[in-house]
Amino acid sequence: MNPLRWLVGRFPTLALARRNLSRATLRSALAITAVVIGVVAIGAIGTGGEAFKQDQLEAYEGFGGTATVEPDVQFEDGNLTNTELSDGDIDRIRQAAGSATVLPVHEPAGSFVQTQSGTLLFRARVKGLENPGEFYEARNGTMPDNWRRTIVIGARIADQNDLEPGDRLRVNVTDEFDRSFEIAAVLKPQGFSAPLGADRTVFVPASEFESGGYEQAIVRVDTTTGSVDAATQAIEREFNAREQLVRVEQVQEQREQFTEFFGTVNQFLIGVGAISLLVAAVTIANTMLMAAIERESEIGVLRAYGYPKRAVVSLLVAESTILGVVGAAIGAPLALGIGMAINQLLLGDPFAFTAAGLRYVGIGVGFGVVTALVAGLYPAWKAANKRPVEALD
Amino acid sequence: MAPEPNEDDGRWQEAGDHATSETIPTDAIIRGTDVVKEYETGGQIVRALKGVDFGIAPADFVAVVGPSGSGKSTLLNLLGLLDVATSGDVRLRGRDVSTFTDRERTRKRKETIGFVFQSFYLIPTLTALENVEMPRMLDRTPTKTRQRARQLLERVGLGDRLDHYPDELSGGQKQRVAIARSLINDPDIVLADEPTGNLDRDTGDRILELFDELRRDENVAVVTVTHDDYVAEAADRVVTLIDGRIRETESRRANFEEGPDP
Repeated sequence: MNPLRWLVGRFPTLALARRNLSRATLRSALAITAVVIGVVAIGAIGTGGEAFKQDQLEAYEGFGGTATVEPDVQFEDGNLTNTELSDGDIDRIRQAAGSATVLPVHEPAGSFVQTQSGTLLFRARVKGLENPGEFYEARNGTMPDNWRRTIVIGARIADQNDLEPGDRLRVNVTDEFDRSFEIAAVLKPQGFSAPLGADRTVFVPASEFESGGYEQAIVRVDTTTGSVDAATQAIEREFNAREQLVRVEQVQEQREQFTEFFGTVNQFLIGVGAISLLVAAVTIANTMLMAAIERESEIGVLRAYGYPKRAVVSLLVAESTILGVVGAAIGAPLALGIGMAINQLLLGDPFAFTAAGLRYVGIGVGFGVVTALVAGLYPAWKAANKRPVEALD
Repeated sequence: MAPEPNEDDGRWQEAGDHATSETIPTDAIIRGTDVVKEYETGGQIVRALKGVDFGIAPADFVAVVGPSGSGKSTLLNLLGLLDVATSGDVRLRGRDVSTFTDRERTRKRKETIGFVFQSFYLIPTLTALENVEMPRMLDRTPTKTRQRARQLLERVGLGDRLDHYPDELSGGQKQRVAIARSLINDPDIVLADEPTGNLDRDTGDRILELFDELRRDENVAVVTVTHDDYVAEAADRVVTLIDGRIRETESRRANFEEGPDP
């Protein structure tokens, strides 16, 4: 006996189910497509989301030894006080943090940026730095050594407005300056978790600002020689011994907040994917109901010939489950393919799947098959409980 | 206690001579007394059978005739254990069928009854051979089933059509596949609804000859519902149903063996 024949003899229900499906090829194909969409939605959102998370976490890695120091702004008698860090404060931070690099930042409240043709860059923020080369690398152009008359801009601003080194932007900061600068460099993308939101920032030389105060200071510790925890504590001791004057926050903490936030967003997206599987379930239930009605008399014949109800249920559930299994079998590689594309795009390695990402593909496959099985139950039950006499009339 | 089916051919082993001149055979496989069947359709109760007696003995050939709506199909459904009587007594080998659960009825149907439906109801995705195997496909005895199916198809003269699909067969060939299928479980009774209804006379002749052979060789009883006088003429007994009552039972031949040779 050949192996195929043996299989058919062993699992006659599956063999019958497969042939029944081949009778309504287009209908079966459509039901399968619905499952494929569901499985791909869950799998691709899951793996893609994980890749995105990895990408963002990698960005945080670069800031592993970084903390931000901000004045703890107070609101007293209708006035804001303690809004700036003075040059003296910066010196105290430098001393407290020991070997750390301290980067004071001007973050003016009122500013706007315009292209030469007059277009406003609404989303651009303006920040003043002394030496951006300490912190960032250039993607295009070169970071200026002795920074005076030029600006450097974030990758996102450059990409969204087709800007490159050599172009000019007009930067207006209320009460400070209003003039045109040449772009010296475009920064490498930093990810949205970068402490200064560098991707959306136009950096101007700190020397353009006449006021002495800074809104923020970035403290970076070389983690091979020092500890950002120690630096943080030292700064806290220096400023906050008697009253809270500054807020010190490690990027690490922000990273945890991000992970938590991201988990919620991803779960929501997976939920959206799950809804598409629900739609697939409706499609399959509909397909199977139609099949059951169409084959009513045939099912009557099976019953007349002594097929128990259970056998009829098994046959129809096997049919719907096959739809789910085929759908999942097509959907899983597609989801992995999309995941690979996203991995390549965000992480630079198509195979940079995480266990969590792959688990989403598994969940998609599992849900796809189970959904199809469950969707087949009611039509099967209905067909099996039809009295053979009625079915044969 | 009903005798157990023989393992080899599943046929009920009956001792003694079943030839009888009585209207209702005494050694009946299935017997009904004062059987009433009512249906409810559209809020109205329709009485399809109004108290009939019947009995089918091994190797019987009974033709049920009568105008449409006279209760022929209802009677066939009761004989086939597809339906239960509203009142009256229906016994299969002495056991009251109204006490059977759906599962038991299904099993008894499989052991005892073979159906030949008027419109054949062959499964289009299965070959002739697979269609014949169909009633036993879940039995997990594929080799034995295949052997038997092949043998039955050869017997009905379709040994060269085993792998043809129903749409590649003529009406008469489909009918013969359906007959072969009805025999795969080695039933005691074959119920045939208009077995020659869709066939020309020559093919019909061959089907009737086949029935005779099966009765002689396999001891199978054949009950057929027919509008065709020509089929009725070939039967041992003709039961005429009119308006849910048996009007006339005509015994043409006490036993087919005593009839004219085919």
